[in-house]
Amino acid sequence: MMSEIINMLVFYIGLILVFLGGILDLLAAIGMNRFKNFYLRLHAATIGAIGGGFYPLIGLGLISLTLDWMGTNRFYVAGISFTTAFFLVLTAPVGSHALAQGTHKSRIVEPEPIVVDRLREDEEKGLIEK
Amino acid sequence: MLMPDQSTTMFLLSIATGLFITASIFYFIRLVKGPTLPDMVLAVDVLSYDLAVFIIIFSIACNSPLLSVGALPLVLWAYLLDMYVSKYLIRKELGD
Repeated sequence: MMSEIINMLVFYIGLILVFLGGILDLLAAIGMNRFKNFYLRLHAATIGAIGGGFYPLIGLGLISLTLDWMGTNRFYVAGISFTTAFFLVLTAPVGSHALAQGTHKSRIVEPEPIVVDRLREDEEKGLIEK
Repeated sequence: MLMPDQSTTMFLLSIATGLFITASIFYFIRLVKGPTLPDMVLAVDVLSYDLAVFIIIFSIACNSPLLSVGALPLVLWAYLLDMYVSKYLIRKELGD
């Protein structure tokens, strides 16, 4: 009885995470198309990576843990999806940060709504290498 | 008790898949339109994270854990693509 209730709770938490991830992914996709330049699109891509990749993977792992009709296969699927979610949350911010740094240094996109750019000033003074 | 059966679970997951497919179409528009190289790389990143989610959903639908193995290299490949492109943009080799 108790295990059935825990199974049900885990299943519905996973389902909520999957649907929340889908909605956040849709919002991020709309933002990718509406923002004006690369530095603004980075915000939407962060929502797409964490909201659209991390949440649904955790949710699918939780769902597959509770599915009795999958037999022992559910543990393999849950393990792989938790591992994938872990590596995604570890690598996605580092990757987009490196991409932003490369774009800023190579100057192929101008940061448009900007107040102050200390990194560019330091590069022009010669404090850090270009 | 209140646990849905197999067909209801797959129905709910397929509704969620519809949301992800719509988002993927919008990302693909940005990938084709993308005025600069970093925009395209960003779109490819998020598309590959979506593809990892699709792979896990498909392996649940097929009840086959072998299908889900591809999700992990896909996520790591997106990170590698980021690193290579950012090093290409500042004209250095990976590891400098």
